[in-house]
Amino acid sequence: MLTVAALGPAELAARLAGDGLHLRTAGFSVCLRSRIDSVARGIGLLYADYPLLAADDFADFRLSLERPAGARRWFKPQVRLLYDGNSLFQPLPLAQAFPMFEWGLNWCVSSRANEYLIVHAAVVEKHGCAAILPAPPGSGKSTLCAALVGRGGWRLLSDELTLVRLADGALVPLPRPVSLKNGSIAVIRDYLGDAVLSPAVRDTVKGTVAHLKAPADSVARAAETARAAWLVFPQYRAGAAVRLDALSRAQSFMRVAGNSFNYSLLGRRGFDALGRVVDASAGYALEYGRLDDALALFERLAGQRLAERAA
Amino acid sequence: MSAGQLAASRHWDGEFVVYNNLSGDTHLLGADAMLVLHRLQQGEADTAALLAALHEGADAPAAARAALAAELEAMLDDLRRLALIDAAPC
Repeated sequence: MLTVAALGPAELAARLAGDGLHLRTAGFSVCLRSRIDSVARGIGLLYADYPLLAADDFADFRLSLERPAGARRWFKPQVRLLYDGNSLFQPLPLAQAFPMFEWGLNWCVSSRANEYLIVHAAVVEKHGCAAILPAPPGSGKSTLCAALVGRGGWRLLSDELTLVRLADGALVPLPRPVSLKNGSIAVIRDYLGDAVLSPAVRDTVKGTVAHLKAPADSVARAAETARAAWLVFPQYRAGAAVRLDALSRAQSFMRVAGNSFNYSLLGRRGFDALGRVVDASAGYALEYGRLDDALALFERLAGQRLAERAA
Repeated sequence: MSAGQLAASRHWDGEFVVYNNLSGDTHLLGADAMLVLHRLQQGEADTAALLAALHEGADAPAAARAALAAELEAMLDDLRRLALIDAAPC
Protein backbone atom coordinates (compact mmCIF):
# COMPACT_ATOMS: atom_id res chain seq x y z
CA MET A 1 0.00 0.00 0.00
CA LEU A 2 1.24 3.47 -0.83
CA THR A 3 2.15 5.67 2.07
CA VAL A 4 2.37 9.42 2.40
CA ALA A 5 6.15 9.06 1.88
CA ALA A 6 5.45 8.14 -1.74
CA LEU A 7 4.40 11.70 -2.41
CA GLY A 8 7.06 14.29 -3.00
CA PRO A 9 6.69 17.63 -1.19
CA ALA A 10 5.08 19.26 -4.24
CA GLU A 11 2.56 16.45 -4.77
CA LEU A 12 1.73 16.38 -1.05
CA ALA A 13 1.14 20.13 -1.00
CA ALA A 14 -0.96 19.87 -4.16
CA ARG A 15 -3.20 17.18 -2.70
CA LEU A 16 -3.64 19.10 0.52
CA ALA A 17 -4.51 22.25 -1.39
CA GLY A 18 -6.82 20.42 -3.78
CA ASP A 19 -9.42 17.79 -2.98
CA GLY A 20 -7.58 16.84 0.16
CA LEU A 21 -5.08 14.28 1.38
CA HIS A 22 -6.76 11.00 2.30
CA LEU A 23 -4.80 9.00 4.79
CA ARG A 24 -5.45 6.24 7.27
CA THR A 25 -4.51 6.68 10.90
CA ALA A 26 -5.09 3.19 12.28
CA GLY A 27 -8.85 2.58 12.38
CA PHE A 28 -9.81 6.04 11.16
CA SER A 29 -9.65 7.57 7.72
CA VAL A 30 -9.00 11.28 7.47
CA CYS A 31 -9.36 13.74 4.63
CA LEU A 32 -7.29 16.85 5.30
CA ARG A 33 -7.28 20.00 3.21
CA SER A 34 -4.97 22.93 3.74
CA ARG A 35 -2.91 25.43 1.78
CA ILE A 36 -0.77 26.25 4.81
CA ASP A 37 2.91 25.39 4.34
CA SER A 38 3.55 24.36 7.94
CA VAL A 39 0.72 21.83 7.75
CA ALA A 40 2.19 20.24 4.61
CA ARG A 41 5.63 20.14 6.22
CA GLY A 42 4.24 18.61 9.42
CA ILE A 43 2.32 15.94 7.52
CA GLY A 44 5.33 15.16 5.34
CA LEU A 45 7.59 14.86 8.37
CA LEU A 46 5.38 12.98 10.82
CA TYR A 47 2.88 11.06 8.69
CA ALA A 48 5.24 9.64 6.05
CA ASP A 49 4.53 6.05 7.15
CA TYR A 50 0.73 6.29 7.08
CA PRO A 51 -1.23 4.61 4.28
CA LEU A 52 -2.62 6.80 1.57
CA LEU A 53 -6.25 6.28 0.57
CA ALA A 54 -7.91 6.99 -2.75
CA ALA A 55 -9.50 10.39 -3.15
CA ASP A 56 -12.98 8.86 -3.35
CA ASP A 57 -12.59 6.65 -0.26
CA PHE A 58 -14.90 7.30 2.66
CA ALA A 59 -13.41 9.59 5.29
CA ASP A 60 -14.41 9.27 8.93
CA PHE A 61 -13.21 12.80 9.54
CA ARG A 62 -13.03 15.66 7.06
CA LEU A 63 -10.82 18.43 8.35
CA SER A 64 -9.69 21.65 6.79
CA LEU A 65 -7.18 24.14 8.08
CA GLU A 66 -7.46 27.52 6.48
CA ARG A 67 -6.58 31.14 6.97
CA PRO A 68 -9.55 33.39 7.66
CA ALA A 69 -10.17 36.05 5.05
CA GLY A 70 -9.88 39.76 5.75
CA ALA A 71 -7.41 41.73 7.78
CA ARG A 72 -6.36 38.66 9.70
CA ARG A 73 -4.49 37.49 6.63
CA TRP A 74 -2.05 40.31 7.26
CA PHE A 75 -2.25 41.33 10.92
CA LYS A 76 -1.59 38.63 13.49
CA PRO A 77 -2.51 35.94 10.95
CA GLN A 78 -4.66 33.12 12.18
CA VAL A 79 -5.72 29.61 11.27
CA ARG A 80 -9.10 28.03 11.78
CA LEU A 81 -10.06 24.37 11.78
CA LEU A 82 -13.16 23.23 9.95
CA TYR A 83 -14.79 19.90 10.70
CA ASP A 84 -17.14 18.77 7.94
CA GLY A 85 -17.05 22.35 6.73
CA ASN A 86 -18.05 23.82 10.09
CA SER A 87 -15.87 25.92 12.32
CA LEU A 88 -16.20 24.54 15.86
CA PHE A 89 -13.20 26.15 17.48
CA GLN A 90 -11.76 29.58 18.04
CA PRO A 91 -9.07 30.47 15.47
CA LEU A 92 -5.49 30.19 16.64
CA PRO A 93 -2.31 32.02 15.59
CA LEU A 94 -1.14 30.75 12.20
CA ALA A 95 2.05 29.32 13.67
CA GLN A 96 -0.12 26.80 15.56
CA ALA A 97 -1.66 25.31 12.41
CA PHE A 98 -0.03 21.89 12.65
CA PRO A 99 -0.66 21.45 16.40
CA MET A 100 -4.24 22.50 15.70
CA PHE A 101 -4.56 19.59 13.26
CA GLU A 102 -3.33 17.19 15.95
CA TRP A 103 -5.66 18.63 18.58
CA GLY A 104 -8.55 18.66 16.12
CA LEU A 105 -8.03 15.02 15.18
CA ASN A 106 -7.87 14.10 18.86
CA TRP A 107 -11.18 15.92 19.33
CA CYS A 108 -12.72 14.03 16.40
CA VAL A 109 -11.80 10.67 17.87
CA SER A 110 -12.57 11.50 21.50
CA SER A 111 -15.95 12.99 20.71
CA ARG A 112 -17.11 10.67 17.92
CA ALA A 113 -15.65 7.18 18.33
CA ASN A 114 -18.11 5.94 20.89
CA GLU A 115 -17.77 2.31 19.87
CA TYR A 116 -14.79 2.48 22.22
CA LEU A 117 -14.32 3.44 25.82
CA ILE A 118 -11.84 6.28 25.34
CA VAL A 119 -9.42 6.97 28.16
CA HIS A 120 -7.11 9.97 28.32
CA ALA A 121 -4.04 7.81 28.59
CA ALA A 122 -0.93 6.71 26.78
CA VAL A 123 -0.77 3.01 25.99
CA VAL A 124 2.28 0.95 25.03
CA GLU A 125 2.77 -2.76 24.45
CA LYS A 126 5.49 -5.37 24.74
CA HIS A 127 5.17 -9.16 24.32
CA GLY A 128 1.44 -8.75 23.70
CA CYS A 129 0.85 -7.07 27.09
CA ALA A 130 -0.13 -3.42 27.27
CA ALA A 131 0.55 -0.80 29.90
CA ILE A 132 -2.06 1.93 30.10
CA LEU A 133 -0.73 5.22 31.50
CA PRO A 134 -3.63 7.48 32.47
CA ALA A 135 -2.59 10.85 33.79
CA PRO A 136 -3.51 14.52 33.70
CA PRO A 137 -1.38 17.03 31.76
CA GLY A 138 1.93 17.79 33.43
CA SER A 139 2.39 14.33 34.90
CA GLY A 140 5.14 13.30 32.50
CA LYS A 141 2.91 10.78 30.72
CA SER A 142 3.89 11.69 27.16
CA THR A 143 7.58 12.05 28.06
CA LEU A 144 7.58 8.58 29.57
CA CYS A 145 5.63 7.23 26.61
CA ALA A 146 8.11 8.75 24.14
CA ALA A 147 11.03 7.21 26.03
CA LEU A 148 9.36 3.78 26.22
CA VAL A 149 8.68 3.63 22.49
CA GLY A 150 11.83 5.45 21.39
CA ARG A 151 14.33 3.59 23.50
CA GLY A 152 12.60 0.93 25.59
CA GLY A 153 11.42 -1.24 22.73
CA TRP A 154 7.74 -0.82 23.52
CA ARG A 155 5.18 -0.47 20.74
CA LEU A 156 3.20 2.75 20.63
CA LEU A 157 -0.55 2.26 20.62
CA SER A 158 -1.25 5.88 21.52
CA ASP A 159 0.21 8.64 23.62
CA GLU A 160 -3.12 10.35 24.23
CA LEU A 161 -6.19 8.19 23.55
CA THR A 162 -6.53 4.66 24.81
CA LEU A 163 -9.30 2.95 22.86
CA VAL A 164 -10.97 0.03 24.66
CA ARG A 165 -13.19 -1.97 22.31
CA LEU A 166 -16.55 -2.37 24.00
CA ALA A 167 -17.23 -5.83 22.60
CA ASP A 168 -14.21 -7.59 24.07
CA GLY A 169 -12.02 -5.15 26.00
CA ALA A 170 -9.20 -5.30 23.41
CA LEU A 171 -6.99 -2.21 23.18
CA VAL A 172 -7.15 -0.81 19.67
CA PRO A 173 -4.04 1.08 18.50
CA LEU A 174 -4.13 4.65 17.33
CA PRO A 175 -0.44 5.37 16.80
CA ARG A 176 0.04 9.04 16.01
CA PRO A 177 2.71 11.60 16.79
CA VAL A 178 3.52 11.97 20.48
CA SER A 179 2.69 15.40 21.83
CA LEU A 180 5.52 16.88 23.88
CA LYS A 181 5.38 20.09 25.85
CA ASN A 182 7.81 22.61 27.24
CA GLY A 183 10.82 21.05 28.99
CA SER A 184 10.02 17.54 27.78
CA ILE A 185 10.85 18.54 24.18
CA ALA A 186 14.55 19.00 24.93
CA VAL A 187 14.54 16.04 27.31
CA ILE A 188 13.29 13.68 24.60
CA ARG A 189 15.49 15.21 21.90
CA ASP A 190 18.52 14.54 24.10
CA TYR A 191 17.33 11.16 25.37
CA LEU A 192 16.50 9.65 22.00
CA GLY A 193 19.23 11.27 19.94
CA ASP A 194 17.71 10.38 16.57
CA ALA A 195 14.20 11.59 17.39
CA VAL A 196 12.21 13.12 14.52
CA LEU A 197 10.44 16.12 16.01
CA SER A 198 8.31 18.81 14.45
CA PRO A 199 9.51 22.38 15.02
CA ALA A 200 8.60 23.70 18.47
CA VAL A 201 5.62 26.04 18.46
CA ARG A 202 5.61 28.59 21.26
CA ASP A 203 2.85 30.35 23.17
CA THR A 204 0.09 27.81 22.68
CA VAL A 205 -2.48 27.21 25.39
CA LYS A 206 -0.29 24.27 26.41
CA GLY A 207 2.93 26.27 26.33
CA THR A 208 5.58 25.30 23.80
CA VAL A 209 4.64 22.13 21.92
CA ALA A 210 6.34 19.79 19.46
CA HIS A 211 5.35 16.40 18.10
CA LEU A 212 7.52 13.29 17.97
CA LYS A 213 7.15 11.01 14.96
CA ALA A 214 5.55 7.68 15.84
CA PRO A 215 7.85 4.68 15.25
CA ALA A 216 7.30 3.17 11.79
CA ASP A 217 6.86 -0.30 13.28
CA SER A 218 4.04 0.94 15.52
CA VAL A 219 2.29 2.50 12.52
CA ALA A 220 2.74 -0.68 10.48
CA ARG A 221 1.20 -2.77 13.29
CA ALA A 222 -1.77 -0.47 13.80
CA ALA A 223 -4.26 -3.28 13.14
CA GLU A 224 -2.77 -5.45 15.90
CA THR A 225 -4.74 -5.09 19.11
CA ALA A 226 -3.30 -5.75 22.57
CA ARG A 227 -4.53 -6.86 25.96
CA ALA A 228 -4.25 -4.68 29.05
CA ALA A 229 -1.83 -5.98 31.67
CA TRP A 230 -0.97 -2.90 33.74
CA LEU A 231 -2.59 0.36 34.72
CA VAL A 232 0.24 2.69 35.69
CA PHE A 233 -0.51 6.23 36.87
CA PRO A 234 2.75 8.12 36.31
CA GLN A 235 3.94 11.25 38.03
CA TYR A 236 7.25 12.89 37.22
CA ARG A 237 9.03 14.63 40.08
CA ALA A 238 12.46 16.13 39.49
CA GLY A 239 15.14 14.20 41.34
CA ALA A 240 12.75 11.58 42.72
CA ALA A 241 13.84 7.98 43.04
CA VAL A 242 11.65 5.63 41.06
CA ARG A 243 8.82 4.31 43.18
CA LEU A 244 5.99 1.95 42.32
CA ASP A 245 3.09 1.63 44.75
CA ALA A 246 0.39 -0.96 44.18
CA LEU A 247 -3.15 0.33 43.87
CA SER A 248 -6.25 -1.69 44.56
CA ARG A 249 -8.19 -2.64 41.47
CA ALA A 250 -11.24 -0.74 42.66
CA GLN A 251 -9.14 2.41 43.10
CA SER A 252 -7.63 1.88 39.66
CA PHE A 253 -11.13 1.52 38.21
CA MET A 254 -12.26 4.83 39.68
CA ARG A 255 -9.14 6.65 38.56
CA VAL A 256 -9.42 5.39 34.99
CA ALA A 257 -13.13 6.22 34.87
CA GLY A 258 -12.21 9.75 35.94
CA ASN A 259 -9.70 9.96 33.07
CA SER A 260 -12.16 8.76 30.44
CA PHE A 261 -13.75 10.98 27.82
CA ASN A 262 -16.95 9.00 27.37
CA TYR A 263 -17.33 6.68 30.36
CA SER A 264 -20.50 8.41 31.54
CA LEU A 265 -21.90 8.60 28.01
CA LEU A 266 -21.52 4.84 27.53
CA GLY A 267 -23.32 3.98 30.77
CA ARG A 268 -23.38 0.29 31.63
CA ARG A 269 -21.34 -0.63 28.53
CA GLY A 270 -18.52 1.62 29.72
CA PHE A 271 -18.71 0.10 33.21
CA ASP A 272 -18.45 -3.43 31.80
CA ALA A 273 -15.62 -2.56 29.38
CA LEU A 274 -13.57 -0.88 32.08
CA GLY A 275 -14.29 -3.78 34.43
CA ARG A 276 -12.74 -6.17 31.92
CA VAL A 277 -9.63 -3.99 31.64
CA VAL A 278 -9.27 -3.77 35.42
CA ASP A 279 -9.83 -7.53 35.81
CA ALA A 280 -6.77 -8.10 33.64
CA SER A 281 -4.54 -5.32 34.95
CA ALA A 282 -2.33 -4.76 37.95
CA GLY A 283 -2.61 -1.15 39.10
CA TYR A 284 0.27 1.05 40.23
CA ALA A 285 1.09 4.64 41.08
CA LEU A 286 4.51 5.42 39.61
CA GLU A 287 6.73 8.28 40.68
CA TYR A 288 9.89 8.81 38.68
CA GLY A 289 12.63 11.39 38.32
CA ARG A 290 14.84 9.70 35.72
CA LEU A 291 13.72 8.09 32.49
CA ASP A 292 16.40 5.36 32.73
CA ASP A 293 14.96 4.24 36.07
CA ALA A 294 11.41 4.24 34.76
CA LEU A 295 12.38 2.25 31.66
CA ALA A 296 14.22 -0.32 33.78
CA LEU A 297 11.13 -0.69 35.93
CA PHE A 298 8.89 -1.23 32.91
CA GLU A 299 11.34 -3.81 31.62
CA ARG A 300 11.08 -5.67 34.93
CA LEU A 301 7.28 -5.61 34.71
CA ALA A 302 7.38 -7.02 31.18
CA GLY A 303 9.93 -9.65 32.21
CA GLN A 304 7.82 -10.75 35.17
CA ARG A 305 4.80 -11.13 32.92
CA LEU A 306 6.80 -13.20 30.45
CA ALA A 307 8.06 -15.42 33.25
CA GLU A 308 4.53 -15.89 34.62
CA ARG A 309 3.35 -16.87 31.18
CA ALA A 310 6.17 -19.36 30.74
CA ALA A 311 5.58 -20.94 34.18
CA MET B 1 -33.24 0.58 46.58
CA SER B 2 -34.59 3.38 44.41
CA ALA B 3 -37.42 2.36 42.11
CA GLY B 4 -36.18 1.18 38.70
CA GLN B 5 -32.65 0.73 39.90
CA LEU B 6 -30.51 -2.07 38.51
CA ALA B 7 -27.13 -1.43 40.06
CA ALA B 8 -24.26 -3.40 38.56
CA SER B 9 -21.17 -4.09 40.58
CA ARG B 10 -17.71 -5.60 40.43
CA HIS B 11 -15.45 -6.38 43.33
CA TRP B 12 -11.80 -6.98 43.97
CA ASP B 13 -10.17 -7.69 47.33
CA GLY B 14 -13.09 -6.52 49.45
CA GLU B 15 -13.69 -3.29 47.53
CA PHE B 16 -16.66 -2.78 45.26
CA VAL B 17 -17.42 -0.48 42.34
CA VAL B 18 -21.12 0.03 41.79
CA TYR B 19 -22.74 1.43 38.69
CA ASN B 20 -26.02 3.24 39.32
CA ASN B 21 -28.12 2.95 36.17
CA LEU B 22 -30.42 5.77 37.31
CA SER B 23 -27.77 8.42 37.91
CA GLY B 24 -25.14 7.03 35.53
CA ASP B 25 -22.60 7.44 38.31
CA THR B 26 -20.12 4.87 39.57
CA HIS B 27 -19.20 4.63 43.24
CA LEU B 28 -16.47 2.93 45.24
CA LEU B 29 -17.97 1.12 48.23
CA GLY B 30 -16.59 -0.93 51.08
CA ALA B 31 -17.77 -4.42 51.94
CA ASP B 32 -20.21 -3.28 54.66
CA ALA B 33 -21.93 -0.72 52.43
CA MET B 34 -22.20 -3.35 49.72
CA LEU B 35 -23.69 -5.82 52.16
CA VAL B 36 -26.34 -3.24 53.08
CA LEU B 37 -27.01 -2.56 49.42
CA HIS B 38 -27.38 -6.29 48.67
CA ARG B 39 -29.77 -6.66 51.61
CA LEU B 40 -31.88 -3.79 50.31
CA GLN B 41 -31.88 -5.26 46.81
CA GLN B 42 -33.75 -8.22 48.29
CA GLY B 43 -36.44 -5.92 49.67
CA GLU B 44 -37.15 -3.13 52.10
CA ALA B 45 -35.50 -3.44 55.47
CA ASP B 46 -35.42 -1.37 58.65
CA THR B 47 -32.34 -0.39 60.59
CA ALA B 48 -32.63 -3.36 62.92
CA ALA B 49 -32.66 -5.83 60.03
CA LEU B 50 -29.68 -4.12 58.43
CA LEU B 51 -27.80 -4.16 61.73
CA ALA B 52 -28.54 -7.85 62.07
CA ALA B 53 -27.12 -8.44 58.62
CA LEU B 54 -23.96 -6.55 59.59
CA HIS B 55 -23.64 -8.38 62.93
CA GLU B 56 -23.91 -11.76 61.27
CA GLY B 57 -24.82 -13.24 64.66
CA ALA B 58 -21.66 -12.01 66.39
CA ASP B 59 -22.07 -11.58 70.14
CA ALA B 60 -20.48 -8.14 70.29
CA PRO B 61 -20.49 -5.91 73.42
CA ALA B 62 -23.08 -3.14 73.65
CA ALA B 63 -20.51 -0.41 72.92
CA ALA B 64 -19.47 -2.08 69.70
CA ARG B 65 -23.10 -2.53 68.68
CA ALA B 66 -23.75 1.16 69.33
CA ALA B 67 -20.73 2.13 67.25
CA LEU B 68 -21.88 -0.11 64.43
CA ALA B 69 -25.36 1.41 64.59
CA ALA B 70 -23.84 4.88 64.25
CA GLU B 71 -21.73 3.68 61.32
CA LEU B 72 -24.83 2.24 59.69
CA GLU B 73 -26.68 5.54 59.96
CA ALA B 74 -23.77 7.34 58.32
CA MET B 75 -23.59 4.64 55.65
CA LEU B 76 -27.31 4.96 54.91
CA ASP B 77 -26.92 8.73 54.64
CA ASP B 78 -24.11 8.22 52.13
CA LEU B 79 -26.09 5.71 50.07
CA ARG B 80 -29.10 8.06 50.03
CA ARG B 81 -26.87 10.94 48.98
CA LEU B 82 -25.55 8.80 46.13
CA ALA B 83 -29.14 8.04 45.08
CA LEU B 84 -28.54 4.32 45.54
CA ILE B 85 -31.31 3.93 48.14
CA ASP B 86 -34.46 5.73 49.21
CA ALA B 87 -35.98 6.03 52.64
CA ALA B 88 -39.35 4.26 52.68
CA PRO B 89 -42.26 6.11 54.31
CA CYS B 90 -42.96 4.81 57.81
